[in-house]
Amino acid sequence: MGYEELFPKNDLSGWHANAAKRFASPFVDNFHDRIDVDPIILSNAAVNCGFTIRDFYEKPELGIHCVGYISELFDLLPVTHWFFSLPWVRELGMTLEYKETLPPVPTGPILDADGVEGLEPICKTDLQNGSTIPLFFNLYDYVQKNLPHTLVPISYGFDLVGASAELIGVEEFIMWTFTEPDLAHKLVDTYVQTSINGAEVMADKFGFAMLIVGSVLANNDIFSDDAVEEFSAKKMGTYVDQCFRRGAGPQVFYHLCGNHETDYKVFKENLLWSPFNVLHIGYQGQKVFPSDLLKSEFQDVTTCMGSVDTKLMINPNPAKVYEQAKESLLAGRDSKKGFILGNSCETPPYTIPGNLLAMVRAARDFGTYGTW
Amino acid sequence: MEIIISDEVKAGIEGKALKVDEIKALINGAEASKDKITNGSKFLAKKKLGDVTVYADYSEEGGALKVNSVYAHKMILQDIVMDTADTEWTYVKTGAKIRKGHTNLSFMGATRSAPSLVDPASGESWLEEYLAAKTIAVAEMLFSQKRA
Repeated sequence: MGYEELFPKNDLSGWHANAAKRFASPFVDNFHDRIDVDPIILSNAAVNCGFTIRDFYEKPELGIHCVGYISELFDLLPVTHWFFSLPWVRELGMTLEYKETLPPVPTGPILDADGVEGLEPICKTDLQNGSTIPLFFNLYDYVQKNLPHTLVPISYGFDLVGASAELIGVEEFIMWTFTEPDLAHKLVDTYVQTSINGAEVMADKFGFAMLIVGSVLANNDIFSDDAVEEFSAKKMGTYVDQCFRRGAGPQVFYHLCGNHETDYKVFKENLLWSPFNVLHIGYQGQKVFPSDLLKSEFQDVTTCMGSVDTKLMINPNPAKVYEQAKESLLAGRDSKKGFILGNSCETPPYTIPGNLLAMVRAARDFGTYGTW
Repeated sequence: MEIIISDEVKAGIEGKALKVDEIKALINGAEASKDKITNGSKFLAKKKLGDVTVYADYSEEGGALKVNSVYAHKMILQDIVMDTADTEWTYVKTGAKIRKGHTNLSFMGATRSAPSLVDPASGESWLEEYLAAKTIAVAEMLFSQKRA
């Protein structure tokens, strides 16, 4: 039995047709219904369908079908995604293991300084014979066959610094940024180039490939603004530029996870802004990144994605979620190039359904186009 | 000056529903007005022809002008959003250094930005071939689908 037999079909003419029109709104100024809610649902979709976090990551086709199915329940996006934060590292030699309650995690660092000196980007041919590309080809083949109305081919650079750091150990990497900056750059550049090659393989197959790239480890809890610019923002710009040159894009989702209290200022000039991009910033210090600041800084180049704190999503208090969603919507809803309401990161696996409903209710109450 | 266009480039021009004579006129106009940018080894000139902005990428070779490629986009160049760094390009008309930047593009009623080469003084922008032929071409297709 295939996973598709576990799920009723989506309501295509009702829910999906409406959600698809709404989804297009912020990108093409064809305003429909209300501001979209994208809580970045991953393993929460599997949990909501009765499966486990491990199931979500170990069985990607099941995981993405859960995302496509559960999105209808909460009237979320009409498109599907499935990912974890460490694409391409297995091709660079790392071993990942599946956990019951976590995404796949590395078994440990695999490189020292000599190893990084000799490290080379993985070429397209080797990527095609690796694990990440076959995983995503199989996944999108499944979606094409069973959920074609939700298909968006995506290539993940994801956390360019964080994934690179795992190869030598995160603490060691942070030290290297001070003591061995050239080696730290070599490590990240190798991962970036590998990710670019991967995006090209995806674009070769599908004709285009949305890009998701972020700055997660590189944030103000750990690095100065200058270090975030040198090790993350500039690399993200290079990644997107090179991916565009090779046919990937034009859609880009920039995900700045964690605390970007002051380093948010280094991204605008270093990133590439296409006609279809979204910028999401998680936190400013301990608080969610303010939507009014996100709007004022970035609305001239991108669709902005505001946040409800992920911590609230597991707190049994939907009213609090509703209030924070309202605050974000009122501050950001008139962004020049569109606004989306999200969580400050992936919605937690055990997010309370009432809290997701609270976000959507707030979007209906304060994000309906034509009411402000 | 003679303009040389290979059969391959001619096929590309005709594939875009453009005429070879239109490209020759574009280049002759750019040569006369100096409304072109150069990186020292080649020139880039643009002109709006109907609903599309057409670019000719050409070089001077042995007393003739050789057309390297021709490309076009439907999205309409608007104002410069920002400029961030110098490039190897120079605006022949004014001698100004061309900057790396972003420009607003309008299409089907929406305005969105894209990476570009810009001259802040004149407000002129140019899209490089890889962007026009890949990123912007797909964006135009997505706009058409999503606006439908």
